[in-house]
Amino acid sequence: MTSVLVIEGLTKTYRGGVRANDGVTLSAEAGQVYGVLGHNGAGKTTILNQVVGLLKPDAGSITIHGHDVIADPGYARRACSVEAQSQVPINGMTPRQAIGLVGRLRGGSAGHVRSRSAELIEALDIGEWANTDGARLSGGVKRLVSFCMAAVVPGRVVILDEPTNDVDPVRRRQLWAQVRALADGGAAVLLVTHNVVEAERSVDRLGILDHGRVIVEGTPAQLKESVSHDLRLELVFEPDGEAPPMASFVRHVARNGHRIVGTVPAAMAGEAAAWAEQLRQAGRLEEFSLAPATLEDVYVDIVDRAESDRDGVNRSGKPSAAGEAIDVRPS
Amino acid sequence: MSALRSYGLLVEWQALRLKTFLPIAILVQVLFALGIVLGYPLLFPSMDRTTILYLATGAPAISLITIGLVGVPQMVAQAKTEGSIDYMRTLPIPRLVYLLADMTVLLVTVLPGVVFAIGVGAVRFGLDLQISPLVVPAMLLIILTTTSIGYALAMLLPQMLANLLTQVLVVFVLMFSPLNFPPDRLPDWLATIHKILPIQAMGEVIRGTVAGNAFPVSGGPFFLLAVWCVVAFGVTGIVLTRRG
Repeated sequence: MTSVLVIEGLTKTYRGGVRANDGVTLSAEAGQVYGVLGHNGAGKTTILNQVVGLLKPDAGSITIHGHDVIADPGYARRACSVEAQSQVPINGMTPRQAIGLVGRLRGGSAGHVRSRSAELIEALDIGEWANTDGARLSGGVKRLVSFCMAAVVPGRVVILDEPTNDVDPVRRRQLWAQVRALADGGAAVLLVTHNVVEAERSVDRLGILDHGRVIVEGTPAQLKESVSHDLRLELVFEPDGEAPPMASFVRHVARNGHRIVGTVPAAMAGEAAAWAEQLRQAGRLEEFSLAPATLEDVYVDIVDRAESDRDGVNRSGKPSAAGEAIDVRPS
Repeated sequence: MSALRSYGLLVEWQALRLKTFLPIAILVQVLFALGIVLGYPLLFPSMDRTTILYLATGAPAISLITIGLVGVPQMVAQAKTEGSIDYMRTLPIPRLVYLLADMTVLLVTVLPGVVFAIGVGAVRFGLDLQISPLVVPAMLLIILTTTSIGYALAMLLPQMLANLLTQVLVVFVLMFSPLNFPPDRLPDWLATIHKILPIQAMGEVIRGTVAGNAFPVSGGPFFLLAVWCVVAFGVTGIVLTRRG
């Protein structure tokens, strides 16, 4: 496959000295959903704003189909369709009108835009509000309408900035299906999110951004592979019960309330399952699960390591935001 | 896609967005024009013929000027804060088409007030109007110039500052610009400044094209206004294409 969007060495420092992007290199291919993950303020939206010509990079290059879009931002706007992070106010018009007008502003014919809008409204199950004034829509519906505005006449690059924010779980699935459909239709989808769990299921390739730099890049499977072959063990004991003692093969243990999460080497999977089942039968556990590490585990681990490298401090074992570290006592 | 098609669609977009606000804005414009024509005589019960003529022909100019210099910055500053300006700028539309579309919507908003002000002034003071076809380019020049200036102010300044500045501009246009009164009533230094600023010329082109018998207008104010229009339009074009 050929890369549609190629970003190389992109660097942007805002007035005031904040370096939002620091040598960002990534590329998205036709038919691919490329996820850009990162913490708040990691510089994700800054990348998008430079692609569509709202910001000018200090250094680096951005090409779409080999065309330099820093020199010709007009080309980028024709080639990209965008769902912005902030809600686009559509007060005074209905979703159908807003989607239709954007579709025609993007060059679609009235007939095509009408049928495509109807298709998207149906697929995302927002027909109930299709003719409601934008001022009376909930945040989630507005978000879906913004997606439709980007998808009605999609560009060769479709840029989606946090598309699932405020969207309910059922419509999220429908939304992800439409994101996939955009890629299947030949678009390169550049998707910014901090929802790692959903990204794992939906993106083909991803880059993790930390303080303006891409610290790791690959498919979700490659990323998980690169970090560890460990499995994730989750134990839940009774709310007023006592935490069970840990087996020696359970590592990176963290406790959050009556939930304990740790890792187990893949080779010990059978032993770990048997051990946990024994605890469950003895009434020490309510339930347990043993599964491959999630992308979220990998993400936290990678960002944590990047942070340690920056600070020159080994942070492993320190309490995390999600849970407190506990002693690992062999049973 | 042609710029003309984008223009039509953007006008439709803005008109829909502002559809609940437009009738109120039109009403306010009518009341504003009415207030100037009917309100001033309450302040000054005995007015000579010249004063009355200035008042009746100044009101439509004031309506046209304030909507561009005050209405536009407020509208654009709000759109900037909401993020809709940035979104619209991601669409494949030539930058100046935004300006022209907004100008069109504003012209529709302000036109009833302008017509009303001229009509009420004529009836109230028994004036003989002599309306020239040049009133159309005169109004377009004014609205394009003020809209461009208003756009540039809102894009360049933070919202608070832009709003504050519009208030100062209202006072300046209403009280210290020779729209409702002849320029010889101003102190010399201010009169000189007004020979360069476009406000006096705006008043003169409106006066000259709606009451040409009382206020013959030469090409001078049209020329000055055209220069301001080109400069303001150009600066706004740069401001709108500027990347942070």
